Amino acid sequence: MRKLFAVIRREFMVRVHTRAFVISTVLGPTLMAFLFVFPMLLESRDRAPKRVVVLDAASGEFGARVTDALAGARRGVGPDAAPRYVVTRLAAGAGNVAPLDSLVSLTGAKDAGPEALVGVVLVADSVIETGRLHYYGSNVGSLSEMGELQRTVRQAVIGERLARAGVDPAVLMVATAPVSLETARVSNGQVSGETGESSFILAYVMSFLLYMALLLYGTQVMGSVVEEKSNRIMEVLVSSLTPFELMLGKVVGVGSVALLQLGIWSGAAKLLTSQRVAIAGLFGAAPSDAVGMPIPAISGSLLVVYLTFFVLGFFLYSAAYAAVAATVSTQQEAQQAAMPVTLCIVAGLLLMFGLLDEPNGTLARTMSLIPLFAPFVTPVRHSLSPLPLAELLASAGMTALGVVVVAWVAGRIYRVGILMYGKRATIPEIFRWIRTG
Amino acid sequence: MPDIVISLDRITKRFAGHTAVQALSLSVPAGAVFGLLGPNGAGKSTTIRMIMHILEPDEGTVTLFGGPGTGRELSARIGFLPEERGLYPRMEVLEQLIFLGEAKGLRRKDARTRALRWLDRLGLPDWGKRKVQELSKGMQQKVQFIGTLLHDPDLVILDEPFSGLDPVNLQVMKDVVVEIARSGRTVLFSTHIMEQAERMCDRIAIIARGEKVVDGRIADIKAEGGTRHVYLSFAHDGAKAGPVLADRSLVARADDSGATAEVELAVGANPDRLLRALVDSGVGLSRFEVDEPSLQSIFIAKVGQQAAIAPAREAAHA
Repeated sequence: MRKLFAVIRREFMVRVHTRAFVISTVLGPTLMAFLFVFPMLLESRDRAPKRVVVLDAASGEFGARVTDALAGARRGVGPDAAPRYVVTRLAAGAGNVAPLDSLVSLTGAKDAGPEALVGVVLVADSVIETGRLHYYGSNVGSLSEMGELQRTVRQAVIGERLARAGVDPAVLMVATAPVSLETARVSNGQVSGETGESSFILAYVMSFLLYMALLLYGTQVMGSVVEEKSNRIMEVLVSSLTPFELMLGKVVGVGSVALLQLGIWSGAAKLLTSQRVAIAGLFGAAPSDAVGMPIPAISGSLLVVYLTFFVLGFFLYSAAYAAVAATVSTQQEAQQAAMPVTLCIVAGLLLMFGLLDEPNGTLARTMSLIPLFAPFVTPVRHSLSPLPLAELLASAGMTALGVVVVAWVAGRIYRVGILMYGKRATIPEIFRWIRTG
Repeated sequence: MPDIVISLDRITKRFAGHTAVQALSLSVPAGAVFGLLGPNGAGKSTTIRMIMHILEPDEGTVTLFGGPGTGRELSARIGFLPEERGLYPRMEVLEQLIFLGEAKGLRRKDARTRALRWLDRLGLPDWGKRKVQELSKGMQQKVQFIGTLLHDPDLVILDEPFSGLDPVNLQVMKDVVVEIARSGRTVLFSTHIMEQAERMCDRIAIIARGEKVVDGRIADIKAEGGTRHVYLSFAHDGAKAGPVLADRSLVARADDSGATAEVELAVGANPDRLLRALVDSGVGLSRFEVDEPSLQSIFIAKVGQQAAIAPAREAAHA
């Protein structure tokens, strides 16, 4: 036990004492803060209302209706929300020769000064039948702005259609009043107060952290084994430590570094999100801009599930990486040989995305029982809609079994492989090691 | 302590395509300095790895300290310096030594005290905080040597301990080995430098092509050769000795090094006739000594035979 601890301690200290660890630990939160502040600043810059012209070629009230709808659009919610657009309505026809061309020439033109437009909305009677409204703008590349614009004009078009069908304007007011969906998440029969969006973000972040930890730190286990082989220190080690002690010590030591770093990063992220209004103020952005991103709340049970599967997943994959490293002699060979393991990790992450729509479907349930993918799938499913204890236990049990099997096979490959120098082992050789190990 | 520290009973190790060690039996008594001699590729390192349980023999048994337990299980009592030297290059020297001590089961504090004492003793007191990669090759060897001896083992196994050392470091290491032996502990080392073995060992085993050629006390092995060897040093005209040394009625075998030569007398020849022939040839002699054969000539004689026999046997098997 003391020997095992010595190996864990060495692996841990050697990594934590490097400049690379200190830099990446500090850089993580810095990058996070940047990702956090940068959109806020952009948002502030874009807060000025956009100048839009409604070119009205329609009869009746249609043009005015669209103009009013655009003028009423607000950025954000609440009484102090800023208007999105400054709208000018121009009637097409007499006196306006080829008005569209002249308006387009002002759109997005930098030298046009205050006359410059962001876009032109073309309103014609044909829209009522075809349902196709034309917009010429410099901002059509922004999906969110186009989505907003579409919502706004659609409201107006529906209103106009109903009016032309003879619906009472008072009824029309009521019928076209906007509806927004306020979601609240229920877990275990209790309202948790989070929005659906925040659970999704949480699930996404968690899987991504596992993915990153496996790729960054799992491969460090591999590198560490290859290093010992290429430095020829292996022979001294295996004369006093069992291969299993060596492998376990490495996985636990490197895993502890991963948990430490992720812990620091999560703590920093939590601090950043809780202090975001203050941070927004620091950069001169309005507090309302800081509310754009929902704060995911992690419940205690989810944290336990996540950590359990994180540790299981880490053991499973880093034992596999250790075994791969034992079959090769150089870092380059290791990169190639590790391909199947890396592919499994990528597949796990991709599968998780595939399951977001139907977290309790057959595919999702099956994936939760496959040890290679369960560490990605199960915590995400649990975060989207809490799983019954039996299902959690089954998933964790299968994964733990997978860990034992992988560790056993890896241990056998490791035992023989670590003393093989010079050439890369072939597949039949590896199978022989597993059989006779 | 039992009388026999290492006992090998007909151990055999085969690798794909060839047999590295063939039915090798050896006994290393307690307190001995035991030399395992053999040409490159003879199976010395494979034998040592089997003793350490890094490799398992395909046949035969290894018994250590007269009881159960493998090399790894008994590693607290064994110091092992492998042929392939290696340290963690980016680790500090002292941390590295503490880790090696801990791997042998020492407590951290204890390992630290001992490491500092050893660094001091081998002339590296200021290097504890330096990284291994900043050290010269000779210093790294010393550090690894310390790692081998840190836990005060009863049995020290050194695979080619003196290769690649400069004369000063060689002397330091030799002194340490001799001191270990004086304190009643057992040392087994492999080498292909015969002078080294001859000066330091009580007992040797010569192996070639995985098989034992000869083993026993060095004095017995040499006495077996009888006093049929003549050691010559030439003062001048050494070249004139050539024809005399080539005379097969007088000389069975000669190891002519130019300024000196070791000669094995032919059957029926005697030292007087050799001396007369040399004087008549006009060579200037500064040494003419009749003695037991050197380990070098025993080695050449035995291994030479073995090397000649083995291919013939392989051909017969094919």
